[in-house]
Amino acid sequence: MDRYNDFSLGEFVWDKSFRSWVLNPTREDDETWQNWLVAHPEKREMVARARQLVLAIRPSNSPLPNPEKRMAVERIVERLETRNLENTETVHLPWYAGRAVRIAAMLVLFAGLGWLFWLRHQPKALDYDQLVAATNVEMREIANTTAQPLTISLEDGSRITLDPGSKMSYPAHFNGTKRGGRREVFLSGKAFFDIAKDPSKPFFVYANELVTKVLGTSFTVRSFADEREVSVAVKTGKVAVFSREDPDATEKQSSRELTGVVIEPNQQVVFIRKTVKIIKSLVPEPEVVENTGTAPHFEFDDAPVSAVFNALQNAYGIDIIYDKNIMDECPITATLTEMSLYEKLDLICKAVGASYKSIDGRIVVEGKGCKNN
Amino acid sequence: MKALTRSDLYFEEEQKLWREMLAGDVTAYEHLINRTYDLLFHYGTKFNSDRELIKDCIQDVFLGVWEKRDALNHEIPPKPYLLASLRRRLHRLASRLRMDCMDYYNESDIVFDLEFSAEYQLIESENDRLLASRMTEMLNELPKRQKEAVFLRFYNDMEREEIAMVMDIQPQSVSNLLQEAFKFIKSHWKTIISVVLALPF
Repeated sequence: MDRYNDFSLGEFVWDKSFRSWVLNPTREDDETWQNWLVAHPEKREMVARARQLVLAIRPSNSPLPNPEKRMAVERIVERLETRNLENTETVHLPWYAGRAVRIAAMLVLFAGLGWLFWLRHQPKALDYDQLVAATNVEMREIANTTAQPLTISLEDGSRITLDPGSKMSYPAHFNGTKRGGRREVFLSGKAFFDIAKDPSKPFFVYANELVTKVLGTSFTVRSFADEREVSVAVKTGKVAVFSREDPDATEKQSSRELTGVVIEPNQQVVFIRKTVKIIKSLVPEPEVVENTGTAPHFEFDDAPVSAVFNALQNAYGIDIIYDKNIMDECPITATLTEMSLYEKLDLICKAVGASYKSIDGRIVVEGKGCKNN
Repeated sequence: MKALTRSDLYFEEEQKLWREMLAGDVTAYEHLINRTYDLLFHYGTKFNSDRELIKDCIQDVFLGVWEKRDALNHEIPPKPYLLASLRRRLHRLASRLRMDCMDYYNESDIVFDLEFSAEYQLIESENDRLLASRMTEMLNELPKRQKEAVFLRFYNDMEREEIAMVMDIQPQSVSNLLQEAFKFIKSHWKTIISVVLALPF
């Protein structure tokens, strides 16, 4: 234990034995450590701090509730017992070669093909009423006929704020839909969605031509029947957007990952109806992304330009692309608090003789650097 | 000086369950599943977000172990063995899906993807909370394979050989991954500490 006598905080935090005492203590370990602490009272505070850090910083886990685990374990044991009952003489095929699995796979395949066929040959049901009519689940509709935004809470904890003149349809129960694996709503007009996180049940918003798929995040969808564009803008998290007309839309929907055009905070997607084009850009007024860390501060004193761009990048969650080698020669002294993102960029670019463009939802800065000045 | 090693007790107990299970003891089998299920599930979620799919894969792993029990080595450490089987199954499944859906599944879909986060209410001092948030950021910046090695070593108390078994690479490669991760952690730790200390509180 003597090697611990001169340990620093960091060394404790990353010491394997220390960690295993904190994370999986056994009586033996605990005794050894307690004795050591009695002999080294000056180390107590540091050990307590290291302990807190080890306990606090962990991989984020999606929790597995006990009942769910119990059921899964029971299922395995049950399976085992039924297998034991079947005569053990049979040759054991790999699981996917079993007859039941093969039949099930065929059925799934046929169902899938049938569905695909059905989708392809559907009349193009792209406006809200047709979309809603095409579902075979019992739907509820809420229309906001007032002059104020209207907030609705869904049973999964998601909150949706409907703008005046907008309406939304959603199933009475999300579990009622096939496979239970999806939460699907239909929108006409504009609404802000704050979706409760549930990776196993992706949330879909169908708004005319656009399908938005999220796992848990907040964003705005704007889709008025009489407007030329449909748009989706993200506030927090990530969403995937694709066109209903996309020949691969079914795969994109059922994929476990977010595929399609993926947009992040402060980015938006606009679907131009006439040309059937999806365009990704920044929202008109990017906002600071709420963050778990420290509040962003934008005061710089003789800081390299990369530090400034980094701060902006973190605060707004927007990629800023620039040539670090050239630009880092330019020091910045500025107070940029209380300015919009574009005002900040204007000021910085002016200071270092550069210019910026917003391309594909990112900011690209070009300049010659400051070597000559 | 006694080197503190991992709780041999736990280890022994698992090995015992494993041996009894291989001998055909269903109760031991169930105990073993109960003990390792959380770990397997959490490890699985790092590769795939579909809970049901992971549960199915874990089930297949355990049923497979039972079927092959006559052929399995009694001395294999059960946890790494089970993790490795689960990992292989998930990979196989992902590559099959990738074939079916062409390019919708690409390489990145079967990669270990882990986020670290900090529970700030466990930390008393404001200073250490800041430290924790910086550490978390730093850990999240680790390349994915290094992250996986760090996860297995520091959060699941595994030895080099066991990690090699789970990740299906040479023990030397595990050492390299861990060394690189450590170099990264150490170099950042210095700046983190100096930044945190320099802040006025």
